[in-house]
Amino acid sequence: MSYNIGDNIIAPLGYTTDEVYQQVLEGCTSLKRYETFWGVPEPFVASLFSEEQRGSLLCDGLTFFESIAYRSASAAIAVAQSNDQDFTVKGDRTLFILSTTKANVASLEVDGKVAYPGEAAQRVAERLGVTTIPLVICNACISGLSALITAHRLLASHKVDYVIVCGADVQSLFIVSGFQSLKALSLQPCRPFDIERNGLNLGEAAATIVLSAHPVNAGTCCEIRDGVVRNDAYHISTPVKSGDGLTMALRKVLEDEETVDEIAFINAHGTATLFNDQMEAVALGRVDLRAVRVNALKGYIGHTMGAAGILETLLSMRSLGEGVVLGTKGYASEGVSPVLNISADRQRVDGKVFLKMLSGFGGCNAVLSCGISGIAKQKSIPDPLLKRTHHVLLTPHIAEVDSCPIEIKEADSELLVELYKKYVGDYPKFFKMDSLCRLGFVATELLLRKEGSPVCGESRSVILFNHSSSIDTDRKYLSELSARGGYFPSPSLFVYTLPNIVASEIAIRNHYKAETCVYILPRLNQQIMEAVIKATFCDVSVRSIITGWLDYESAEKYIADLCIIEKNDKK
Amino acid sequence: MEELIQLLKKQIIEVLNLEGMTPEDIEVDAPLFGEGMGLDSIDVLELIVLLDRQYGIKLTNPAEGKEIFRTVRTMAEYIYEHRTK
Repeated sequence: MSYNIGDNIIAPLGYTTDEVYQQVLEGCTSLKRYETFWGVPEPFVASLFSEEQRGSLLCDGLTFFESIAYRSASAAIAVAQSNDQDFTVKGDRTLFILSTTKANVASLEVDGKVAYPGEAAQRVAERLGVTTIPLVICNACISGLSALITAHRLLASHKVDYVIVCGADVQSLFIVSGFQSLKALSLQPCRPFDIERNGLNLGEAAATIVLSAHPVNAGTCCEIRDGVVRNDAYHISTPVKSGDGLTMALRKVLEDEETVDEIAFINAHGTATLFNDQMEAVALGRVDLRAVRVNALKGYIGHTMGAAGILETLLSMRSLGEGVVLGTKGYASEGVSPVLNISADRQRVDGKVFLKMLSGFGGCNAVLSCGISGIAKQKSIPDPLLKRTHHVLLTPHIAEVDSCPIEIKEADSELLVELYKKYVGDYPKFFKMDSLCRLGFVATELLLRKEGSPVCGESRSVILFNHSSSIDTDRKYLSELSARGGYFPSPSLFVYTLPNIVASEIAIRNHYKAETCVYILPRLNQQIMEAVIKATFCDVSVRSIITGWLDYESAEKYIADLCIIEKNDKK
Repeated sequence: MEELIQLLKKQIIEVLNLEGMTPEDIEVDAPLFGEGMGLDSIDVLELIVLLDRQYGIKLTNPAEGKEIFRTVRTMAEYIYEHRTK
């Protein structure tokens, strides 16, 4: 188990968890309409910090994104310190995890140097006084839950004693234009699960939970019980209509719940896009949870992306503690099939557990189960025995599998296309992929040729690490955006500005339905990568992982250093 | 119209990265989505950007695209009638 010993939310509605919770409880919203803002030629509705708030939140020497992450984390740390005298940010038993989808991308145009998310996390961690290397989780909309799940596993397997899990994203022309090109934004305040819903609203916020391996004030603090991630292996941006991935994640979490009657409510993703909400309803129907109360919070705070999983978990933890399920602002009449028990207004509830769901680009789905502390059985997770089966190394000048060089023509910038044509050839989607995906795809194909017998389904996971995030495609997207003087954001390029899409492409090609995730580090670090890989095996369905370092900075500088790691059960 | 169809085929190949495909490979009356060329929902959005960028046509509702993007011919006919540049 892991326990919340201190938390904070910084959002346009308030600067503490309490303030934001009270505002939401009273039905307030920070969604507003912006006509022509940040050079976006079309109007949009979003939850943004005001100019005045921006000024007061900005810290010297940090970007605005880093500032809100720092302020939220340091406020949560202060609360944790007052609750637990043993808690310290220093030393190798405390880790800082930052969940974000696009970090400093708003500053990419003015300052390319700040663009690397791992380095942004390092600046925040240093200012907080954290001495271990920070870990960034970049898993599209489910990042926040992925971060909590990773932290929970590292604590449960005694790798560390404390994890500061902070989620943050800020909005800009880059992100707003991308969602506009995908026709995913509503011009009105969003209406989760409603028949008239027509899109989402973006939001900005930072939220932090300090998790400990030990509870404080047992009975009042909230614990994380379990968390599962599954991939649809269907499409890089559209959720599968059958809700397969989310259904699998729900089933897995429910396996360990003693009784479904203990569930007080389910806090859905509820983005208010046609597809997402409908898919969530199908999945809840498939696991027989139609009768449980469901709410969604995007109508108060917008879709806060990398912060969403942590922020919405926090508001849900607070409401569970008070025996309340929050309302779903914007919801008026049934709009999904099967019909769900949507909590339109706040209500009193019994039950000691809630489930938090998120789904995102890359076909990933996450479910987290949280409860009042002290009700779950302690589970101790032994370290798995692992073995590396095959290995591939690809750079502009080297191509080798299991240390044997692959014959290539004169190495040039078309190496990946050459390898594709020679060794794959039957997957034309390759040509639509961005550079990071092409690299990951070709490297994986070479690995799998060596492996021979195909593995698929819920037993194989894809966990990748890098430093450059999706920087090459970020730059391309920005230059295309304003090319030829117009405003023509490209939807497919935008989707590829999420680095986790490479894990999704590999999952789709090979039908891998277990966890997919991309982690970003300030620099390569074997120790932390190994800890994360071991933690991934805490999900007992996972038998093997395609993993390693996958970094694409430019056509001259890239590396895929991937391997297959299997769990070895022989005693 | 023939000229427009030829140009449009080239533009579709370019914008959707259909590398290796030539305009002759695209049948003017074959369905672009589903069984035909197997284009997907992101491709629809890319075609919407193409209409805007090359022909000054703004489609706000992707559902409208369904009929317009059925085949290269339906697309060309729509462009012929609605183009502003």
